Amino acid sequence: MSIYKLYYFNNRGRGEVCRLIFAAAGQIYEDIRYEDDQWLLHKDKILLGQMPVLEYNDIKLPQSRAIARFLAKQFQLAGKNDIEQAKVDAVVDTIEDLIEKLIPVFDEQNDVKREELSKKFFNEELPKHLQNLDVLLKVFGNGGSFFVGNHLTWADLYFYNFFETILGINENCLNNYPSLKQNRQEVEKQPKIAEYLQNRPKTSI
Amino acid sequence: MGSCDLKLYYFNLQARGELIRLILAAADRTYEDIRFDINQWSEYKPKMILGQCPVLELTDGTQIPQSMAIARYVARETGLAGINNLEAAKIDAVVDTQRDINETFYGKVFFEQDEIRKAEELEKFLNETLVKHVENLGKLKKAYSQNESYFVGNKLSWADLFVFQSIKALLKAIPQVKGKLGDQFKQLIDAIHSNEKLKAYLDSRPKTDF
Repeated sequence: MSIYKLYYFNNRGRGEVCRLIFAAAGQIYEDIRYEDDQWLLHKDKILLGQMPVLEYNDIKLPQSRAIARFLAKQFQLAGKNDIEQAKVDAVVDTIEDLIEKLIPVFDEQNDVKREELSKKFFNEELPKHLQNLDVLLKVFGNGGSFFVGNHLTWADLYFYNFFETILGINENCLNNYPSLKQNRQEVEKQPKIAEYLQNRPKTSI
Repeated sequence: MGSCDLKLYYFNLQARGELIRLILAAADRTYEDIRFDINQWSEYKPKMILGQCPVLELTDGTQIPQSMAIARYVARETGLAGINNLEAAKIDAVVDTQRDINETFYGKVFFEQDEIRKAEELEKFLNETLVKHVENLGKLKKAYSQNESYFVGNKLSWADLFVFQSIKALLKAIPQVKGKLGDQFKQLIDAIHSNEKLKAYLDSRPKTDF
């Protein structure tokens, strides 16, 4: 019987990093996916009416990064000590800063305005944050391909997932950042992750 | 830890640095509280790992950026991050819920330049967003708390400090908020004001615009 249940939409979004952590850890869990109309039926029964939510035994946890960090710690993917964990958190927060710049672009209804916001994102925000992520990889990565301490952590999975979305829009966006490109390649090569990537539902976001 | 070589670099403001200072104060942990004005920032910026602040510098020179990553680290080091992984996660969930609301307020209301849009967004924030948020925090407290004052388990955690600081900052920015909060946070605020170490810090911290 599964003691872990993950509730999220049937796309990657803010649930996928948890699925990647489960996959990397080889941990069985119930991967509950709701289409939009199903969600409307279940929304009132879910703590805070938002997803993802993790059910662990009888405890319910909302908030994607709180869930991901919990799972990562359960499966030794959060960093080997307190300082490494802080570095991992700093990388994740830097990626999150960038995600928060993209959301208004997706949310914008007006086509002209959206095009404007998208240009600003790709020409200004993206390079700035990629530069920062490159620095963190070099300073925290101990000369290896992973963001922190020369081993896979959920920071690498967080980066992997978000950039799948960005690369889907602009496949060249990492061309000037070979270390970041290599980081994603390294994640894809992990056997359990490779297997998961091959078999999971394909979604654009 | 416990070394005086711990250094926090931030503006002489509360904003994104104050939570870290509150955690360190609650633990009575000594550290160098390096504060600078905006016109000194060009001096410090090149020394910061990502050219941003706050930054926490450890004894060996390692720099940690990102205010919440720093806060979580110092909370963990000082016993304010829960007694186990699950409690730490519940604390993170409360923190992120509060963080969402702060980002909404500062992003859509506080820093909005257009006066008409600002008034519209403030109305929406006061009557919808904030109401829902107070409800959500209540649900989390009901699910996680074993104590009438604190959000998670049985003792003070950095989630309590974050909600406390956020509410205080919100009240200062828009006093109308007071009527919307009811008694929800009274026990928390009282508990924090009765905490000796926090009281000493709150009474003596520099007065800043925000």
